[in-house]
Amino acid sequence: MNLRDNAPLREKLAAEYVLGTLKGGARRRFEGYLHNDAALRRLTTEWQDRLQPMAEFSTPQQPRKQVWEGIERRLNLRAARASWFDSLNFWRSLGLVSSAMAALLAIVIGLRMIAPPQLDYVATLSDDNARTALVLTGDAGRGALTVRLVGNAPVASDKTLQLWAVPKQGKPRSLGLLADRGEVRLALTSAAIGDDVALLAVSLEPKGGSPDPNGPTGPILYKGAWVRIM
Amino acid sequence: MSDAHTLDPQQLRDWLDGAARQDAAAFRSLYDATSAKLFGYALRILGKRELAEDVMQESFVAIWHNAGHYQSHLAAPMTWMTTIVRNKAFDHLRRGVDAAELDSDQFSAELMNAMHDPAATPIEALVISRDAKALAYCMSALEGLHRQVLGLAFFHDLSHSEVAQQMALPIGTVKTWIRRSLERLKTCLEKAGHP
Repeated sequence: MNLRDNAPLREKLAAEYVLGTLKGGARRRFEGYLHNDAALRRLTTEWQDRLQPMAEFSTPQQPRKQVWEGIERRLNLRAARASWFDSLNFWRSLGLVSSAMAALLAIVIGLRMIAPPQLDYVATLSDDNARTALVLTGDAGRGALTVRLVGNAPVASDKTLQLWAVPKQGKPRSLGLLADRGEVRLALTSAAIGDDVALLAVSLEPKGGSPDPNGPTGPILYKGAWVRIM
Repeated sequence: MSDAHTLDPQQLRDWLDGAARQDAAAFRSLYDATSAKLFGYALRILGKRELAEDVMQESFVAIWHNAGHYQSHLAAPMTWMTTIVRNKAFDHLRRGVDAAELDSDQFSAELMNAMHDPAATPIEALVISRDAKALAYCMSALEGLHRQVLGLAFFHDLSHSEVAQQMALPIGTVKTWIRRSLERLKTCLEKAGHP
């Protein structure tokens, strides 16, 4: 049987495949054809769009809240949902910055191939009004990270500023606590300059730093990206 | 939260895009907008809440992981998601779990009314997607028994012979009704501007 040249049969099989009445060996054979026949796949998708809305004919039923909690647990979304991720515009801006960063990283990774091994980094972190508040310089050779405050960034006596590396995926990594004036020297590790780092951010935390090992608990005050310089 | 406008396909597509970028907030919005519909559907197939809940969880885990592979030019977002729920639900059934009790009332009561007499109960007023409204309208033009045959096959994954047995009809009649009904639906949906 040549299915390719039999338009009415193709139509009928695709429709009954979606409806569910195509069963057993005939169903398996049809799935075999689907693998090698893009036009048949398209035909089948069209029938899915026609018939699958029947699913909406069932009376809607609200699932118990445990259902969402189970999904959240299985996908480990809870950590990401906590505190800052959904409370700040930060998350939204991260999306924009990430794609720009991805392009930049691609260049950086490309450059690494031809660049000498010792490279330095610089980042300027800005507030929401794009005012530069901190300048970071990294010396990869010495493993030193210097954070310099531009002017003062006064914080209440029971608070402290904390620096984070925000990876493209997963939890932010703490790079250390900052003073509210002057200069702070921290270790420059792969946590800070790994290729997966999309962004650097400074959050306002209780004295002693974020109580949550998975990320900041306070608002993000400043953010910016590493730029690699030679 | 199954507001009509939350089933706007473009909005659902945006949320799916968000889920593909690991945006947990977009994924939550997608869940809020669609979970009642999808759970109602899973429950219709499986009949038991605990099973339907398992299927919902498996389905949304799959939606999160596969959102990046969703191709909006191929299928409407609700089609894509209900197909995932359908496959997971029938997987459960094939693992030997008892199917939902077969009943003739396949559809929600208000939809039943709308399909029996679209003039008395306007299909437009139903809280379902535009695609589902178009299908409901076209199914209302079918004979009641033909509609029931389609519903039995679709919601309970029945073969021609199982439908025939269920409806006490000759298998040839069932095959003919299904074939003709599908052709009519296609023609009617094309007229309504659906491919």
